[in-house]
Amino acid sequence: MNAIQERRLRELRSRVLVRAFDYRQRRLARGVWFRLRRVLAFASEAYALPRDEAERLIAEGHQPEPVGQELEPPRVILYVSRERLAGIASARPLAVRLSAEVLSAEFLALVPFEVEAG
Amino acid sequence: MSPLPILLGVTFRDRLVATIRAARPVLESPGVLVVGSEVPNLLEAGAAATLVVSQDLDVGVPVDRHAALKQRLGDLREFEPSADEPSVWTPRSAGLLELNFVGMDPAQDPAEAYVFEDDRLPLLVFGGLSLVSRGAEVEIAGTRLALPRPAGLLLEKLVTDRTGEKGERDLLVALGVLATSAPEDLDELESLYRRLRPELRHAVRSNLTILSLLAPRSGMPDPQPRRAEVTALLRRLETGDPEIV
Repeated sequence: MNAIQERRLRELRSRVLVRAFDYRQRRLARGVWFRLRRVLAFASEAYALPRDEAERLIAEGHQPEPVGQELEPPRVILYVSRERLAGIASARPLAVRLSAEVLSAEFLALVPFEVEAG
Repeated sequence: MSPLPILLGVTFRDRLVATIRAARPVLESPGVLVVGSEVPNLLEAGAAATLVVSQDLDVGVPVDRHAALKQRLGDLREFEPSADEPSVWTPRSAGLLELNFVGMDPAQDPAEAYVFEDDRLPLLVFGGLSLVSRGAEVEIAGTRLALPRPAGLLLEKLVTDRTGEKGERDLLVALGVLATSAPEDLDELESLYRRLRPELRHAVRSNLTILSLLAPRSGMPDPQPRRAEVTALLRRLETGDPEIV
């Protein structure tokens, strides 16, 4: 084994160890990023909302996603239908990815992907 | 100045085809598979090679076929072993891609890796490739080469830890495989996934969430139009999985 192969093997094994640690900690703070990515992955669209609109949606019965409260500062992340969001002129569309815009949005509305029947 | 994207594609496919022609002695060695980033290109109709622009051709070598392959290395006249990394063979001309030999051992744990020692062609044997099995054969430039079954390759891309620039490119290769997969490939993928231990199933789902949120990259499949497919696969794998967080 030459030095490069040895280094690649060592790096790979290190990553495996880190991943095993991440897995064991997945239900704790270490798993927050996975939970956030998962919530975003199920969204076809994302919008930043003003506080009053987010509060109105919560009053209507929309439940904030728990992962938003695990972040610091906490975020309000709501799944909302496209139809309901169409009535909110101040909703600002964002690309669905781990961007600074998405991560800094204090109130985030996500349109869920439609689930095919069957 | 960078070439226009369409010219980049033509140039790249030409290099890929020329590389396959030049690598014929090893690609037709028994048991050898093309694995890695070129597979989506070769799975496209007519091996159109529009999905992934890459600088190397990954050649998967089952460790029990290494001896037979080694006998053919002398016929590989248009490449030479890299001084730094003996499992990489670099082209003698600019019109070819590198050959990157990787070991495959079906008995290996998917999370592990080891070095198959050899004086001429030592191999890094990646456990994720234990999920890969032989699939279709295609003929390109007079060379018959074997491709992996899409399900196993897709799972290998998703089960392996993916970090940084290379990790993101590897996930976009997985997207390319997904783009060329048939419904029965996804059935097979699900079946293979269910056999993984919980930690590895979690890794697959975690990588799917990363893939879903990646930004587009030049020369790689665009994840944005395929987010719904990625999410549908994630939802499918989650269904009935007792480990869901």
